[in-house]
Amino acid sequence: MISNIYFKVLLLLLALTISAAFVAKFGFDLKVAAAITLTLFIVKFLGVAFYFMELKKAHVFWKSSVLIFVSIFLAIVLMIV
Amino acid sequence: MDLVKIDSKNIYYPPGGILMWIIIFLELFTFGMALVAMAMYSKDEPEVFHSSRLLLNTTFGLVNTIFLLTSGFFMVKSVESFKVNNIKKSSLYLKLTMLGGFLFLLLKSFEYYEKMEAGLSIGYNTFFSFYWMLTLFHVIHVLVGLVILSSVYFSLNKKKMDMSANDFEASATFWHMCDLIWLLLFPIIYLIF
Repeated sequence: MISNIYFKVLLLLLALTISAAFVAKFGFDLKVAAAITLTLFIVKFLGVAFYFMELKKAHVFWKSSVLIFVSIFLAIVLMIV
Repeated sequence: MDLVKIDSKNIYYPPGGILMWIIIFLELFTFGMALVAMAMYSKDEPEVFHSSRLLLNTTFGLVNTIFLLTSGFFMVKSVESFKVNNIKKSSLYLKLTMLGGFLFLLLKSFEYYEKMEAGLSIGYNTFFSFYWMLTLFHVIHVLVGLVILSSVYFSLNKKKMDMSANDFEASATFWHMCDLIWLLLFPIIYLIF
């Protein structure tokens, strides 16, 4: 059952990777494509952290630290690009 | 084998260990700041960054992302098998994990060779300075990760295995950190400019 969840997460991560590459290649406006691509990668980042690294079992401090880091990173990069 | 259950809900015991998570945050901040700096420089030379980004092979980056993610999945399976004392399966999954890492390095080496042949070295322009510094720094992490996983593999196959589940989990966490860093690098370097 647990293995099944990890396999589903892997499939989702691979699907998001391919979608992000398509958005970047055939994307609309450069800014919109950048926003979509980065958001998809942040979702993948969280998938790896929370499932593969088992952060979902950790104390709320660690979960929120990762969430705060990615939110700030995404916001700063999107503001600049 | 040490099968002492650790309460991961305790703030001092995140999965993989508190020291590993301190290292992960330091790495994420370092790479994060470098990527923010790269994005800021791209504002000064947007054409240079756009044309340089088009010189990168996105397919290689994409395939490398798939290698790392699949390798991460096998790492999870290896830890899972280790926790139920299935050493044979754990060892097999660990080999597959390392294979993913080797394939990543192989493709990266080919990509670097292509860039060097085309004269796109570290001093070519600002974009390629960031490209080489960030991706090489990441490659060093993958190499260190492979050394750690090899040592775990040899410990697993020793007659008198003395490795705890926590040690195994800490090594796995380091390997996943390489995935995390790559997931920050790939979209910014290969896709958005």
